[in-house]
Amino acid sequence: MQDKKYNLFWNIIFVLIIISICFGVYYASKRVDYIWRWERLWQYFVYEDVTNIRTPLAGNVEITDNKIKVIPMQGAEPYVVKTFEKAHVNDGDLVFEGDVLASSSKIKAGPLLTGLYMTIKISLVAIFFAIIIGVLTGIARISKNPALKKLAVTYIELIRGTPLLVQIFIFYFFIGTVLHLNRFTAGTAALAVFTGAYIAEIVRAGIQSIPKGQMEASRSLGMNYFQAMRYIIMPQALKRTLPPMAGQFISLIKDSSLVSVISITDLTKSGREIVTSTFSPFEVWFSVALLYLILTSSLSFLVQLLERRLSESD
Amino acid sequence: MIDNKKIIIAKDVVKTFPNGVKALKKVSLEVNYGEVVVIIGPSGSGKSTLLRTLNFLEPINDGEIIIDGISLTDPKTNINKVREEVGMVFQQFNLFPHMTALENITIAPITVRKVSKSEAEKTAIQLLEKVGLADRATSYPSQLSGGQQQRVAIARALAMKPKIMLFDEPTSALDPEMIGEVLEVMKTLAREGMTMVVVTHEMGFAREVADRVIFMDEGEIIETNTPLELFRNPDNERLQKFLSQIL
Repeated sequence: MQDKKYNLFWNIIFVLIIISICFGVYYASKRVDYIWRWERLWQYFVYEDVTNIRTPLAGNVEITDNKIKVIPMQGAEPYVVKTFEKAHVNDGDLVFEGDVLASSSKIKAGPLLTGLYMTIKISLVAIFFAIIIGVLTGIARISKNPALKKLAVTYIELIRGTPLLVQIFIFYFFIGTVLHLNRFTAGTAALAVFTGAYIAEIVRAGIQSIPKGQMEASRSLGMNYFQAMRYIIMPQALKRTLPPMAGQFISLIKDSSLVSVISITDLTKSGREIVTSTFSPFEVWFSVALLYLILTSSLSFLVQLLERRLSESD
Repeated sequence: MIDNKKIIIAKDVVKTFPNGVKALKKVSLEVNYGEVVVIIGPSGSGKSTLLRTLNFLEPINDGEIIIDGISLTDPKTNINKVREEVGMVFQQFNLFPHMTALENITIAPITVRKVSKSEAEKTAIQLLEKVGLADRATSYPSQLSGGQQQRVAIARALAMKPKIMLFDEPTSALDPEMIGEVLEVMKTLAREGMTMVVVTHEMGFAREVADRVIFMDEGEIIETNTPLELFRNPDNERLQKFLSQIL
């Protein structure tokens, strides 16, 4: 209880430290003559895409019941615009070929959002396949069959012993060329295979943490090995492995930024492109980091919910 | 060759563990239909190992085991099929912690015997009533006491409608006040004519229920007799010593 007394004090200290770090960043940017232009950034989230409608011929404009008609002087067929949002001409105006008659605009997702979408898509597909690869390899890893076991060990050691960046290059330039994979498939496959190796080790540890008696009880009831695994061992093992799995999925989301090296326009690559056109690296990279943080923290929130639901039997 | 009265025939069973320990040295055992056999002996005498060889949880190195006319040592035998007929109750209960008491009991009939869920649940509730736990169907094992868990484990084994029940020290992990409730269930089973092989330290149970008591030591069967004779005139020195320690 002695500790509790000072809690408020230390919480204030925490807030002060955070504030001073923020101020430090701001001050540092002032020292290098950096001009913050947050307002420029919004267009990279969403922007208004304006399409102009131009007249292909010269003539007089006539506006009747929401239609713009251009009537040429020589009495040829008139040019009619039926759908538009904003008229740029008035009734009776004289227009020449190429003049803007009207415009319509659409709200479109900017590169930051499309990049975010690509990152989510890559991550979800990779997580899905990583789980399948990981669970199968994890079971093979503890199999009594030497071929299965050694294959699993070789795969795990190979993947864990080489950098992901190199694996992505190998997947894209070698395997991708041989099997005619597109960028997305190659990048996602590299991520899934990489994460699968780590999940395999997590699954192995999870299975081995289940007491031997569980398998014996299942087998003594007449279940075969696969039934025992499916109904008794795996449900318990997967529940135990949920926290380390979540950590691995979060790593995968972050590691997905590496696929930008094979020209997949994910969040990171979008960020780099925006920096080259805005010269506002601070704002862009802070925003990109924040978007990754939102992704990873919502994932860990989901996993926590799942954990709570599964802990009913504890 | 196959004796119709014998449901278990174990002939010259040898079991050597990978670390070189000889757990069973040419052990032979025969059990009749409806017979209750209690195996006693000091720890490390091989009595649990013998029990576990009877449903092949422990593969044997030599000898032959025939359960209800089917040889377990025959490579063509589907061991899973034999295990459906042999229920087993463990010292540590080994209930499935992620399932309720009811699900623990229904999982094997549903997955192995392909019984419909509703029918399996009906049987499970009857069995829970039989072991006195009808009100705990939706409880998880972690919410049950040791004695209750062991009774659910017995119900789980019974749900497969086995011809033989094996009990591996079913009361050894229980607090003393819970031993009685488990033994009571076992006594009921014995009275109903179930064939039972029980490894236990409960001499009272052996005396009251057993048709035959087997004393094992150092991987061998030393003496077999009716409980009355075995406890009254133990003629083997090791048995005398064991009984004097335990009684």
